[in-house]
Amino acid sequence: MQIWLNYLVQIIIYAGFGFSLNLLLGYAGQVSVAHAAFGAVGGYSVGYLTSTQGWSFLPAVAVGIVLALLAGFVIALPAMKLTVEFLILLTLAVSFVIVGVFSSFPQLGGTFGFTGIPKTELFGWTLRSPGDWVVPALVMAVVTYLICRRMGESAYGRVLKGIREDPIATQALGKNVFSYKLAVFGISSALAGLAGGFYSGWLQLATPTVYGFAFSLTLFAIVIFGGLANLHGTILGAVVLVMLEPLLRRVINLPAATASVVLLIVYGLLLVVLMLLRPQGILPEGARPLARLRYAVTAPRGPGQPPLWTKLRRGAAGDRLEMTADDEWSPSVDLAALDGSDGTAAVESGDPPPPPPTTSGEHIHVGFAAHEEQVVAERRWSLAPVVLEARGITKRFGGIVAAEDLDIDLRRGTITALVGPNGAGKTTVFNLLTGFIRPDAGTVKLNGTELVAMNPDRIARLGLVRSFQDVRLIARISCLQNVMMAVQDQDGEHLGKLFFGGLAASRSETRTREQAMRWLRFVGMDAFADVPAGALSYGQSKLISLARLLATDAPVLLLDEPASGIDTRWVETMLEMIEAVRDQGRTVCIVEHNLHVVGRLADHTYFMELGRITAQGSIEELTGSPELAEAYFGT
Amino acid sequence: MILAVVDLETFAQLTANGISRGAAVGLLGVGFAFILGVTGRFHFAYGAVYAMAAYLAYTFKDRGLFPPLVDATLPFWPAALLGILVVTVVGVAIERFVYQPLARFAGVNALLAIFVAALGLGIAIENVIRLLWSSSSQPYFGPVQERWSLWEVTFLNFDVYQLVTYAALTLGLAALLRFTPLGRMVRATRSNPDLALTIGINARQVYLVVFAIGTFLAGVVAVWSGLQFAVEPAMGTRPVIFAFAVAFLAGTASSPVRVFLTGIVVSLVEQWSSMWLSVRWTQTAVFIILVGYLAWLSVKQSSLYTKIRTRNAARVSPARA
Repeated sequence: MQIWLNYLVQIIIYAGFGFSLNLLLGYAGQVSVAHAAFGAVGGYSVGYLTSTQGWSFLPAVAVGIVLALLAGFVIALPAMKLTVEFLILLTLAVSFVIVGVFSSFPQLGGTFGFTGIPKTELFGWTLRSPGDWVVPALVMAVVTYLICRRMGESAYGRVLKGIREDPIATQALGKNVFSYKLAVFGISSALAGLAGGFYSGWLQLATPTVYGFAFSLTLFAIVIFGGLANLHGTILGAVVLVMLEPLLRRVINLPAATASVVLLIVYGLLLVVLMLLRPQGILPEGARPLARLRYAVTAPRGPGQPPLWTKLRRGAAGDRLEMTADDEWSPSVDLAALDGSDGTAAVESGDPPPPPPTTSGEHIHVGFAAHEEQVVAERRWSLAPVVLEARGITKRFGGIVAAEDLDIDLRRGTITALVGPNGAGKTTVFNLLTGFIRPDAGTVKLNGTELVAMNPDRIARLGLVRSFQDVRLIARISCLQNVMMAVQDQDGEHLGKLFFGGLAASRSETRTREQAMRWLRFVGMDAFADVPAGALSYGQSKLISLARLLATDAPVLLLDEPASGIDTRWVETMLEMIEAVRDQGRTVCIVEHNLHVVGRLADHTYFMELGRITAQGSIEELTGSPELAEAYFGT
Repeated sequence: MILAVVDLETFAQLTANGISRGAAVGLLGVGFAFILGVTGRFHFAYGAVYAMAAYLAYTFKDRGLFPPLVDATLPFWPAALLGILVVTVVGVAIERFVYQPLARFAGVNALLAIFVAALGLGIAIENVIRLLWSSSSQPYFGPVQERWSLWEVTFLNFDVYQLVTYAALTLGLAALLRFTPLGRMVRATRSNPDLALTIGINARQVYLVVFAIGTFLAGVVAVWSGLQFAVEPAMGTRPVIFAFAVAFLAGTASSPVRVFLTGIVVSLVEQWSSMWLSVRWTQTAVFIILVGYLAWLSVKQSSLYTKIRTRNAARVSPARA
């Protein structure tokens, strides 16, 4: 009996380690093979303070947690910008450094470590038998579980997943990637320190071997085996990996020495087979073992296959909307709903809604007839106030001039286009304006605030956001979650409010969900809310990307080729939506090759060649100029 | 803290030790960097494969070609060569039957999946060795060890043979990469597997060749190291972790010569630091340097953007599968 209780305590403690590693590895995607070393910080604190300084257990654990937190912060700094293979190497090295440093101090027992840690006392109760340890260990593991779950399955975890999949896109939505990574490394490490304290208290050992690299790998295997970003999987992983040993020894009856070797062979092969057959782990992200049954009954729609979609076709005169139910899905937007003034069919269409109200600008209604569009557009542009003012922006990469002395104005409620041949530096301009590339010279002012030298996330929070040519949705989370991620000022993204704010975080989550749904409805993709973004077609993902950008509520939007690579039918929809957003008073800048799109949308156009702006004006003026026509338009 | 008086003799001796150990670590680094740099696989099982080479060579010489059935043994050199060749085949098989299918299935997460599988393979192979040969170390004798000395510095004949062999292999690999059609194919694949495909280079076949070469190098070092010290199941762990460090310090895409020299420099630093630090600290010192280097690398990444762009470009490349 005692021996089985021992296995139980071991499972519980391993699960505790596993939860915190899963937070780091599964949710935040930061590969660490140094988790045992962080545990060692807690374990050695308990060893040192209880056996030589006469401290009692819990204060010693507390010290261990604080030290491990600091160690986590220290590791986070070099880990910040490393790719996976370098992160593996860094954590490998760190694990050797931490354990190596511990075994170098005679005060810490040198190479032997602490082998005689006194029996743990909790509130005057001495833990003597394995059975005594079950409850304290369980308390530790449950606390760790709750913290990891709160961080992983919330608005905070959504950002962590964003960082895991695409830190650039996440930063572009205004998330401070640096502070998230710092926090997650620190907290994961602190929780490992907590588990380490209990582990050493239970084993009555804190030695370099206990916390050696092999233990790091065991913890790593538990998390991988159970499933990344699934805490229940981690419990399963801990059970399987711990119980393999008694299974081999007692059931198959191998001698102890052979059993431990066979055990490791089985471990190793399990990992290989698992990677080949089920790389996402036994319980993949999002899977809940108990919810399985319910899940099977209400089977969700397959991605990209909405059961029924109301297809809208605009009549030739634009005065009639025709609704058909059709299993072929086609994008749509209802202009009538946006512009009630012209009275065209305000309508039997029912659902397609206007863009949700934003705080970024008042509505500007400029009525105009089609043939006067260009003239009106230029006039509108010249009258509108300047929102973003870039002056003398210059950037060189070595000898290559990416941008030379660029002056760009974006005006409120207007659409500005940036055109030019491939390689002219149009996307670079977006990178320069949004802080992804720092200009060598020049200023960028957003409503008078200087943006140069600010980080991209800060710029995004100030209200200047950009989309990416290659869309960059977070593939493994749902479309709704992708859009929710973009909503600013969520309470659930602040650790303080998450843990101590009571219901604030969940209320904020409900609001965020509603807001995101409105934007999904606006782009006509609400039927896809629960579909993982990775399952969408290119055109659909562009719509989601637009919804995500709009959900930031930023007054200034930079759209990188919003209509490229999608078929004609989609283009029309996309253009209507961009116009709707413009009419809402937001400022839009597009990079676009398609002159039809530019002609339709742009109030003002900049023409770029080899990093310079060589002409500006209405698209008609530009296409009318023979030199430009030759340089770009090819006539 | 006792500061040892540094005399010239000690210094010279430490330098000699550093060069001799550094050559081994350097060549392992060359092999590991070659594999990681060209194929993108974090081949964590490298250490276990290394130990396997030494065990096979030892078995072929002392125990028999296939101990339960064939008792005939081989003389030292053929046994060593056969052991290295068998392990080379194992290395190629790992790439062909584990890493390549994984890379195909795992897509964007291939690096992590392959790392985990490699980890598992490493653990499994090391323990298969324990199961078949016992956990204790095995004595292994071949050519006679001699102690030579040159100006006050003593070293083994083995040190000299190893240095020459390893340097020659490094130069040979460098020459192969630079001057032969095969080398051009490898370099083309390293810089862009997709583009290489368009001119008819099959990246997967190139990867098999790369694994053959990388594993062969590990086998050579393992046989020598087994001779000089002993053959034991975990013999690969430490040298290979040092080799990882060396490979990354030198840069995984850099020339073999540079990686080799980096190995020697790292070992020299480790040896020289023992003049001021206790032995336990010297081993940690290498990792502290490595952490410092990675921290510097992280700071140096002035633009996160460019880094991620290149990584994504590498990630989605289908030919890497």
